[in-house]
Amino acid sequence: MKYSYNWLKELSDTKLSPEKARELLTMHSLEIEGMEEKKWNFDGVVVGKILEIKKHPNADKLQLTKVDIGNDKLDIVCGAKNIAVEDKVPVALVETKLPNGIEIKEAEIRGEKSFGMLCALDELGLGTDHSGIYILDSKAKIGEPAKKYLGVEDDTIFEIKVLPDRAHDATSHVGVAREISVLENRNFEYDFDGLKLPASTRGDDRSSTRGWPSKKSKKLTVKIEDKKSAQGGSASGGLCSRYIGAVMEDVEIKDSPSWMKQRLEASGIRPINNVVDATNYVMLELGQPLHAFDAEKISNKNKLQIIVRKAKDKEKLVLLDESILELNNSDLLITNGETPLALAGIMGGKDSGINENTKTIILEAANFNAVNIRRSRTRLGVKTESSDRFEKDIDPNLAEKAIVRIIEVLEHTADAKLEGVIDVYPNKIKPCKIKLDLEYVDNLLGENIPKKEVIKILNLLGIKTSLSGNKLIAETPTCRVDLKTQEDLIEEIGRIWGYEKIEPRPLTEPVIPAKINEILSFERKLGEIAVGFGFDEMYNYSFYSEIDAKNCALDGIKHFELSSPMNPDQKYVRVSLVPNILKNIKTNLKNFESLNIFEIGKVYYPNNNAVEEKRMLVMAQVLEKDPVNFAEAKHGASKNAETFYNLKGTVENLLEKISVDENSISFNEVKLPKNHLAHAGRSAEILIDGEKIGMIGEINPIVLGKYKIGKRVAICELDTEKLLKISQKEIVFKSLQKFPTITRDISMLAKGETKAIEIQKLIKKIGGSLVLSVSMFDVFFKDGVTSFAYHIEFGAPERTLENKEVDEVMEKIVVGLEKELGLEIRK
Amino acid sequence: MLKEKIENLKKQFLAEIEKIRPSDEALFELEKKYTGRKSEFIGILKSLKDLSQEEKKQIGELANNTKNQIWEIIKNKRQEISENSFDAEKEKIDVTIPGKKKSVGHFNPISLVRRDIEDIFVSMGYEIADGPEVETGWYNFDALNIPKDHPARDMQDTFFLDAEAGEEKLSMRSQTSAVQARYMEKNKPPLRIIVPGKCYRREATDTTHDHTFYQFEALIVGENVNVGNLKFTAQEFFSAFFKQNVTVRLRPSYFPFVEPGFEFDISCTVCGGKGCRACKGGGWLEIGGAGMVNQNVFVSAGYPRNKYQGFAWGFGLERLAMMRYKIDDVRLFHGGDLRFVKQF
Repeated sequence: MKYSYNWLKELSDTKLSPEKARELLTMHSLEIEGMEEKKWNFDGVVVGKILEIKKHPNADKLQLTKVDIGNDKLDIVCGAKNIAVEDKVPVALVETKLPNGIEIKEAEIRGEKSFGMLCALDELGLGTDHSGIYILDSKAKIGEPAKKYLGVEDDTIFEIKVLPDRAHDATSHVGVAREISVLENRNFEYDFDGLKLPASTRGDDRSSTRGWPSKKSKKLTVKIEDKKSAQGGSASGGLCSRYIGAVMEDVEIKDSPSWMKQRLEASGIRPINNVVDATNYVMLELGQPLHAFDAEKISNKNKLQIIVRKAKDKEKLVLLDESILELNNSDLLITNGETPLALAGIMGGKDSGINENTKTIILEAANFNAVNIRRSRTRLGVKTESSDRFEKDIDPNLAEKAIVRIIEVLEHTADAKLEGVIDVYPNKIKPCKIKLDLEYVDNLLGENIPKKEVIKILNLLGIKTSLSGNKLIAETPTCRVDLKTQEDLIEEIGRIWGYEKIEPRPLTEPVIPAKINEILSFERKLGEIAVGFGFDEMYNYSFYSEIDAKNCALDGIKHFELSSPMNPDQKYVRVSLVPNILKNIKTNLKNFESLNIFEIGKVYYPNNNAVEEKRMLVMAQVLEKDPVNFAEAKHGASKNAETFYNLKGTVENLLEKISVDENSISFNEVKLPKNHLAHAGRSAEILIDGEKIGMIGEINPIVLGKYKIGKRVAICELDTEKLLKISQKEIVFKSLQKFPTITRDISMLAKGETKAIEIQKLIKKIGGSLVLSVSMFDVFFKDGVTSFAYHIEFGAPERTLENKEVDEVMEKIVVGLEKELGLEIRK
Repeated sequence: MLKEKIENLKKQFLAEIEKIRPSDEALFELEKKYTGRKSEFIGILKSLKDLSQEEKKQIGELANNTKNQIWEIIKNKRQEISENSFDAEKEKIDVTIPGKKKSVGHFNPISLVRRDIEDIFVSMGYEIADGPEVETGWYNFDALNIPKDHPARDMQDTFFLDAEAGEEKLSMRSQTSAVQARYMEKNKPPLRIIVPGKCYRREATDTTHDHTFYQFEALIVGENVNVGNLKFTAQEFFSAFFKQNVTVRLRPSYFPFVEPGFEFDISCTVCGGKGCRACKGGGWLEIGGAGMVNQNVFVSAGYPRNKYQGFAWGFGLERLAMMRYKIDDVRLFHGGDLRFVKQF
């Protein structure tokens, strides 16, 4: 909210500079987001006295004037008719640039020379009034800068971020002024019987004090129909805990005085007319939203009555801004017994508003249920200064201060006369009493604050205190709705006393060795391994679009959806990291020929009414040369599927690094539908001891096509929690091979669909314990035949093998491969 | 007699090896001459069998030692020849030709910052906790003293899901604080945890805001935890993180799950608090929020009211990463551009 520092100064009596006040408030009270100087610039506008007025010879609508500006007498052509000889007026001299952008030049208007301009208010940037030249006070001194007679004050505007805890009391100038007073160690003197108006309106009334108007209105009746409200304030769920109506007569609708307009504008509110402006002015000052009805327009069969009731379902109301609302019975209405006049606490109706013909007004100062206001305005989508304040829950006792204040204001600015007031307030809110343990104050803040200091601070804040042993009974003012607990009071004490005075102190609590978060530290390790293997880490949003889900054939899986996404591209909550990884690849292929990327993150599945989150590691690889080219893709030939085998090797390396036994890992072919995210011919499930821990595969070229990726992409997805469980087995050391080993090579040709793993398994099976390892060193595909070549390493733990022994085993292996797998062994 | 003979042979060898032009062939000849099968030396050794036991031992030892010395000298000489034949100039290469690089991976800077932070806290005895990112209304709001229909729910715009659990809609968690009640339900004080993690807020993105971000939160609960401790801990942490003395300043603020609540600033890490462009002349950098745990939060977690005291504080990892690496646009972290990631 925007605050005028002039206004704050006047209310708090502070002498501080705006900078100093800002610093104090920042450190002890509220966050000030901005500070802006508002300077009125009327350089070149001086007081002039009109000496002569003559008709313009060539234009009926213009006049020729001669104006005395002290050191000179100027001829000025003028269009307005409201001037008379002897009037003192603001004169903009030649070369002056006015606030509205006009630059004054020597001019010839229909043959007559003009050396300046007589100014109307709008030309000076003071509102919209263009009805005539602004006539200055007759005591104004000729030739002086006009600024001091224009009723303008330079000001500083504070933009203060009021958080919900202080929104009850500090969305008002009084609330912030109270803070300034307290911080300057002064009691804040402001109550409804001591209201002050700005000096220019005070006149003879300066010392007048006012109490609650004793006049009861004879014309108005007020009734609150909502039953619950009889039970008390907002907390009880009553929709209207108080309604004050005041009738003012003989109202003269006109512009507000300039000082008031300036203050409204300083707070970002557009001046409209003196009555509407007064409601806004008092709201800005005290924080109580007010409303004014035209009594004539709302009277029903010559009766003036206000009935507060719930709306009927589908009841309609046309608001001041001409929007039409359809209501339901949770909305609260102000009615005249029949017709709705206003959506309570949110916005007035179009038909009951003030206009230039209004003579008698009904002023409303009420208190509405915060939760209900919030629900209505959210559902109906109408947010106003008024609803903003009511939904923060304000003090019902504030209503009477506000009504007194607005009556006083309108007596000055609209010459209005009070007919009388009706106050319906079934359950008066009482101050809250809190028992404060003084030891707790010190324990929580970590400093010893003298008892005297504590009491002084609380009292300055308007909190009454009495001692009872080592406890303080604190009675909080009703305007501080936020103060309910000991901790609330301790915060008040701490901040006013000064958090900067609290010394940093080491913890005295015992340190207990922290448990290791296994999954997080494991994921950190996986990240290190991936980076070690040359992979770059991606952080992606957890969302993608419905189209992504379709493109990646994930639309068969139930997704969570955001109720209101930032944009449709981010509507679905991910069940796979792959779509965003594909987008990463697409983006980066603009700048890189090859890429290795990974992401560690969660996926989220709806599971009945619960949420299932899985932690995944995804690695993706694109090689410099492995374009999507269907013709070359052939069975069993790694040269045509380098991307896949490269990534598979990385996965095998990764599993080795986290101590998964090589013999427990298998890559199993899976049957996938043709439109699956993964390439149906180039994908495998990764199993460890029979448990599936993830997938590896190329992305389906059809999917790649949708993302316009022209190179093959291999991706693996691993479930990190499952991996963690498996990798937790301790490593068991195997004795080093002491005796020399013998390595033999064997190569063979396969005509059918023999798989490498079958050959490897068979060699091991036949060779038994003498075979230490079998490793493929070549494979290629030619003329419908696949050629495999392996190194086989033989050895025994306790002796040196003889060649003859190895020859015998090799012979068996050859026979086995020929017979069992039908391979042709190359000799 | 034999002894003299051996010593003479040694002298003779030493004189001869000094005289020859050292080459592998000459050394081979020399070795053959003095210790070869037909050498005088071997002759001497063969004649030992005629001597007394005593002499056999004495002379035998001398002969053996001498033979070994000769071999040693020849070996050294050979080494010398080989070393002299090495000419570094002839082998000279251009060391400025680019090396054969391995492909090197890179962490996202958020990971780097997160690891540093975790290490500092773990060294101070904190456990790293975590929780779900799709959260229930209870943990994301109610348990944190943010009741339904309370204006505090507007303090962060939340991504709600089209799915309900219980009476309230599920949402993407808007703060790591959602883990507080989850952890406290299962653990009794004293406790000290940190919660790093991904959070979501429905906010328009610009150079300093993203709807997805990483938060970091520390929570300590015990019987005597106070504001002074909060200040101390924050100061220790930030001093360790920025590797310089950092002071912490608390300003009043409001978060429903703490009371009192603070904004905390740290002394500017660029100018040390004197005032510079980084801190807009004020000497302080706004970092995060903090406060003493609201008793309502303890009650929600199942602790008795007013038995424990604790503090919580948190901040955005992006902000720290941006400060550390002088990154000027928060959207880069989730932008997926390798030109960015590969710099770290």
